[in-house]
Amino acid sequence: MDNNQKNTNEITESEVKNTVPEASDEQETVDLNEFMPELLTVTPPPHIRAYDTTRTVMLDVCIALIPALIWGIFIFGYRALMHTAISIIFAVLAEFAYEKLLKKPVTVLDFSAVVTGMLLALNLPVTAPLWLGAVGSVFAIVVVKQLFGGIGKNFVNPALAARVFLFAWPTYMSIFTNPGAKLSTFAIGVPEGVDAVASATSLASLKNGVLPEGTSLADAIIGVENGCIGEVSALLLTAGFIYLLVRRVITWHIPVTFIGTVFVLSLIFPQSSPTLDFALWEIFSGGLFLGAIFMATDYSTSPITKRGRIIYGIGCGALTVLIRYFGGYPEGVSFSILIMNLLVWYIDRYTKPTRFGGGKVAKADK
Amino acid sequence: MALTFKGGIHVSEHKHTRKCAVEQMPAPKTVSIPMSQHIGAHADPCVKAGDIVDLGQVIGVVEGKLGCNVHSSVSGKVVKIDEKKANNGILIRNVIIENDGENRLHPDIKPWSKKLEDTTPDEIVEIVKNAGISGMGGATFPTYAKIQSALGKVEHIIINCAECEPFITANHRLLLENPDEVIGGLKILMHTFSLKEGIIAIEDNKRDAAKVLRERLGEDSKVKVCLLKTKYPQGDERQLIFALTGRKLAAGKLPADVGCCVFNAETCAAINRAFATGMPLTERIVTVDGDCIKNPKNLLVPLGTTYRDLITFCGGFSKTPNKIICGGPMMGVAQWDIDTAVTKGTSAVLALSRKFEHYFEQPSACIRCGRCVNNCPMRLMPSYLAMFSMQNKLDMAEEFSISSCIECGSCSYNCPGHVPIVQYIRATKVKINDRKRAMQAALEQSKLK
Repeated sequence: MDNNQKNTNEITESEVKNTVPEASDEQETVDLNEFMPELLTVTPPPHIRAYDTTRTVMLDVCIALIPALIWGIFIFGYRALMHTAISIIFAVLAEFAYEKLLKKPVTVLDFSAVVTGMLLALNLPVTAPLWLGAVGSVFAIVVVKQLFGGIGKNFVNPALAARVFLFAWPTYMSIFTNPGAKLSTFAIGVPEGVDAVASATSLASLKNGVLPEGTSLADAIIGVENGCIGEVSALLLTAGFIYLLVRRVITWHIPVTFIGTVFVLSLIFPQSSPTLDFALWEIFSGGLFLGAIFMATDYSTSPITKRGRIIYGIGCGALTVLIRYFGGYPEGVSFSILIMNLLVWYIDRYTKPTRFGGGKVAKADK
Repeated sequence: MALTFKGGIHVSEHKHTRKCAVEQMPAPKTVSIPMSQHIGAHADPCVKAGDIVDLGQVIGVVEGKLGCNVHSSVSGKVVKIDEKKANNGILIRNVIIENDGENRLHPDIKPWSKKLEDTTPDEIVEIVKNAGISGMGGATFPTYAKIQSALGKVEHIIINCAECEPFITANHRLLLENPDEVIGGLKILMHTFSLKEGIIAIEDNKRDAAKVLRERLGEDSKVKVCLLKTKYPQGDERQLIFALTGRKLAAGKLPADVGCCVFNAETCAAINRAFATGMPLTERIVTVDGDCIKNPKNLLVPLGTTYRDLITFCGGFSKTPNKIICGGPMMGVAQWDIDTAVTKGTSAVLALSRKFEHYFEQPSACIRCGRCVNNCPMRLMPSYLAMFSMQNKLDMAEEFSISSCIECGSCSYNCPGHVPIVQYIRATKVKINDRKRAMQAALEQSKLK
């Protein structure tokens, strides 16, 4: 199997060489008698194509994340920016170094490493030591992404897998600080004075069966609450979602079914009253919006069919509620997405669209 | 509301020649007429070097097999019979004729003696067969065989003027300038299948053509002009039939199986010409365009004219082309020579610069964005098909219905990872067919023992 993969790669590489222009394009007119057909490029159709590339897609994701990032910086100070910069830089460097070392084509310009680094940083609490993001980024890129074959080949979301890996330092990952706390921007370790401002997230109190006190639902929607850097403002994350929808980068299926399932299940099985308030708190606190819009929709690790995406979204939502209710940890979004990631191939295979006109299809034995 | 199908893509149209009236291209000094311009058996030349031939004279015949006769497109002297590569790379015999410029019509060419009402379907099949007409949309299936196999099964007859490929405007100009020929051809086909109604299907970027047709038809409600949404691949038979009738053509079935028969507009005009004047198919409209052509044009070209002559007539190249394509840019064949001849299926000759070449700017890899799945008009999963092809998993490719792929290119066109999906699929289809044949052979071997 490996050999075949190599062969096809070689085909494409030799075509790269064929398409290099040898005649200059600047000539005004071309004498037909001197025209050499040997210089013509011969490839299979189609001969024209859309201008979209992996880079434009990844850039769109970055742009969609920027409002949430700016809000994170506004709420948690420049340390949030510092985390993001470090994560992105290490993600890109890790990809560059790995590909250089293994003499593979360097793909950092497709911006996928930037997206991974950015997502990882937005999933960190601002109080975490600065090296945490760097470690996570290297893990995400090298272990989760590149070891499985690079972009499009990883079977779990790199940023999420790295986040779960970082739970190896549980204390660093679960100290949250109130909005507006003044933290040192450049402190490598956990900044001083954090203990004084650390507080429980609203999810933690929901887990104990009480609605959060001292804060309102409106605050949770706008994002004046504690939590990870990028997850607090459901409003701005939704703005990013709308941008991605308009640019047709993602479809509505996963985010809507994911959040919808969490909402409906919380309504049916409330853990405190009033029921509607509880359900709203459940969806607007924690990383649900960030996870549903930006992590669960990761191309490589989500189903490719629309029906599959709906099943996947519902699965993520149900698992999130299960973990939030019965798990040891107040948040369940990351784990539920990672679990559903593992089922993507089966979802794809069994939600395969019926081919146009129907008709029986051979079933593979192997 | 315009009719359409599910899936498909919106392609930049590039229809620069939509305002260019069809010009008669003067017959070149020599023409090189391939003996196979259609699907099926190659024709055998029935002339030899030194013979004097007339315009419209049969120079190649197919006996007893599926195929089309080939006629001379000029009058003059046969110089030689040569083997040359056709536009698809297959080596075929070409009859090379030196044009004497007299345009002497062959004496056998005369209008059909009976009125349409008195003509039987079999006679019409005979007329079409003698005129050597094959589908002119690109697939070049012999038209007489299509009519013959569909006789008695057809409820809807559809004239395909969707012309969904970018650049090409040949059908559009035909409808604007010669609507009567198309309508006449449709009437003949309606008579053949003894149908009361016929449909002319046009994409809604050619509303002017639809208007001309409707004016020409006037109160005649027997022919319906249907507007389709402009979308690629609207001109594909399956998508067209679905958009117009809601019937779905299952894999491996012919349009006649769902009671439909689809003809290209120009084929239709050729049938009309064969009936009205007896003239066989010796010329066709070709769009010559692309950013490397100095004066893009629509030309009425004698078959056998080389691309070199066409390009010279259009003022030559304005810059060095990167690709020369026979047909549209979505499904056409890239050429490696400009001395290839125009055949019955050549709807366009395009010379494109590197501006259109965005392939392999970056290492290609599927990012599983799902656009191909969303766009596939056949509702397949092209990304998986490409993946299985890379891994040589033929069984899985079959499970994912690789054989249903119509190779329209909607997947490759929109792929942000620049994966040459269609190329992979084509290669795997060949492998699967080879394997089937090998298994068949092995089976027969074991039976013999």
